[in-house]
Amino acid sequence: MNKYDRITPEGTRDSLFAECTLRRDIESRLHGLFAARGYSEIITPTLEFFDVFSRKAQPFPQEQMYKLTDAKGRLLVLRPDNTVPIARVCATRLRDAALPLRLCYNQNIHVISPSLKGRDDEISQSGIELIGSDSRMADLEVIAAAADALKACGGEYALELGNAAFFRTLMAELPASDAVKEQLRDCIETKNYPALNDLLDTLPESEAASALRMLPRLYGGEEVFAKASALCKSSEIAAILDDLHALWQSVSQFAGKERVRVDLGMMHRTDYYTGMILRGYLSGYGEEILSGGRYDKLLAEFGYDVPATGFAVNIDAVVKVLSRQQAPQTALPASNVLIWAAKGCEAEAVEAARNLREKGLVVEHSLSETLDEARTYAAAHGIDSVLPIEQAKEG
Amino acid sequence: MQRPLRIALTKGRLEKDTVGLLEQLGFDCTAVREKGRRLILPVGDGSIEVVLAKANDVITYVEHGVCDLGVVGKDTILEMQGKFYELLDLGFGRCKFALAVKKGTDFYSGYGVKTIASKYPNVTRRFFEAKGMDVDIVKIEGSVELAPLLELSDGIVDIVETGTTLKENGLEVFEDVCPISARLIANTVSMKLRQSEIEALVSQIEAYFGNA
Repeated sequence: MNKYDRITPEGTRDSLFAECTLRRDIESRLHGLFAARGYSEIITPTLEFFDVFSRKAQPFPQEQMYKLTDAKGRLLVLRPDNTVPIARVCATRLRDAALPLRLCYNQNIHVISPSLKGRDDEISQSGIELIGSDSRMADLEVIAAAADALKACGGEYALELGNAAFFRTLMAELPASDAVKEQLRDCIETKNYPALNDLLDTLPESEAASALRMLPRLYGGEEVFAKASALCKSSEIAAILDDLHALWQSVSQFAGKERVRVDLGMMHRTDYYTGMILRGYLSGYGEEILSGGRYDKLLAEFGYDVPATGFAVNIDAVVKVLSRQQAPQTALPASNVLIWAAKGCEAEAVEAARNLREKGLVVEHSLSETLDEARTYAAAHGIDSVLPIEQAKEG
Repeated sequence: MQRPLRIALTKGRLEKDTVGLLEQLGFDCTAVREKGRRLILPVGDGSIEVVLAKANDVITYVEHGVCDLGVVGKDTILEMQGKFYELLDLGFGRCKFALAVKKGTDFYSGYGVKTIASKYPNVTRRFFEAKGMDVDIVKIEGSVELAPLLELSDGIVDIVETGTTLKENGLEVFEDVCPISARLIANTVSMKLRQSEIEALVSQIEAYFGNA
């Protein structure tokens, strides 16, 4: 007996009608926006070798990847991320291409989410990668594209900036074991103030320790920069803060101060980020919609040492937010014209339909035996006009 | 106009303690005290509303952002985990996770693989994983103390408050796993988009604890 032949696997679902229209609409808006900035689309395979994602530094957790084997018994995964495969392509086929490379994509990723949490395992992402520049203008270009992408999704949005190097530099100055550092990272990421304090109490007091104590609270508007520089005096940290502050000022000039926020304790699930990191939120959704940043060491893992920056938009999340704002769809959209053909006139009907479609009308063929049945059908389905074809062409 | 700041409370004792705390801070909680069967209740001037839920559901609602804040025990957080911010130790609902065995037994003696009964299989697994120790875990829904008495397991990992239940059933704490208390958690996006409201409440609570 086939027990599972009428349902889809957990974390996946069928999208119908209006939801598909909305999805295509968002995807094409974003693609248009990326294309207008000179980004070219690439598509990478859904299946990749496990090795692509099992890197020395911060591998993807293997329990979160869908795995299968190829005909030779080699381990494959359904790609859990879009940036890593694109890094692979840049380091191989695009190795000799002139830099910078501007690439965009619109494809699915697959992650095994915890059961019964109402999360998707298959997520559609649209994003860009700007490869080959470590300039501030590159970061700014990416952030500006992110702001426009969020705006194109509709609704009220917020953009949040951080810097992965900030936390790393503080950690480097901290006299603690790697295991403790990993725990600290966890506490800061989850803004777990009580656990963070307990953990730091076990370490000797230092400037880095007291800065880390405050790190989860270092988020908000521009005032964060003053707070942070009062805490950490080291020149390395000061340089990072100055950089981020300058970036913040440029971004708030074109996106509006109220929309641009800072979180110095921000950390991403994927840990290939090295510099500026960003997140985007839409009001009415409990998680980030957009996520990205600078990853200068990732391509080097594929043997091509160039800096890069980019972001991805979670299309499924945007569709969820926007479809909540629409009335639920109960009927399919009606055609404009129903063409009914008498016996022997079918070919003429097909031709007549084609002519009408060229004028931009939605035309469907009646499948009814009689004209009366066709009229009843048209009335029931909200089709305004019925066109009977009863005369075959002389010939 | 934005909806009120929504706080999910764990029904039962944590709910009472939190309502007590909110009242100390000057919020009018009459609606919660006289709730009847309602599950969503306004607090104070209507800028906050309280949702009553089971412990695990508090985390689910906060994770998905349909509630901005939540009050839930560290026990539930450790077992469920998930993506949210843990802002404050509220100090009440104090107890601990502990490994308990039949009185007088040495849990670690012998070469056999041990069986542990628990309502908290994830907490149990992590505790023994950290020790590099293979154990069989059996999930029990009701009174876990029964499992070692019926010889289903060698020990239990459970919440221990006073130890009276253990004592009355001939069990004793063999080793503490970790302390537990009530925590204030926040949805990650609410924390950013409603920062001033949440921070105001958090600092009010901190100030109260600071003076108490």
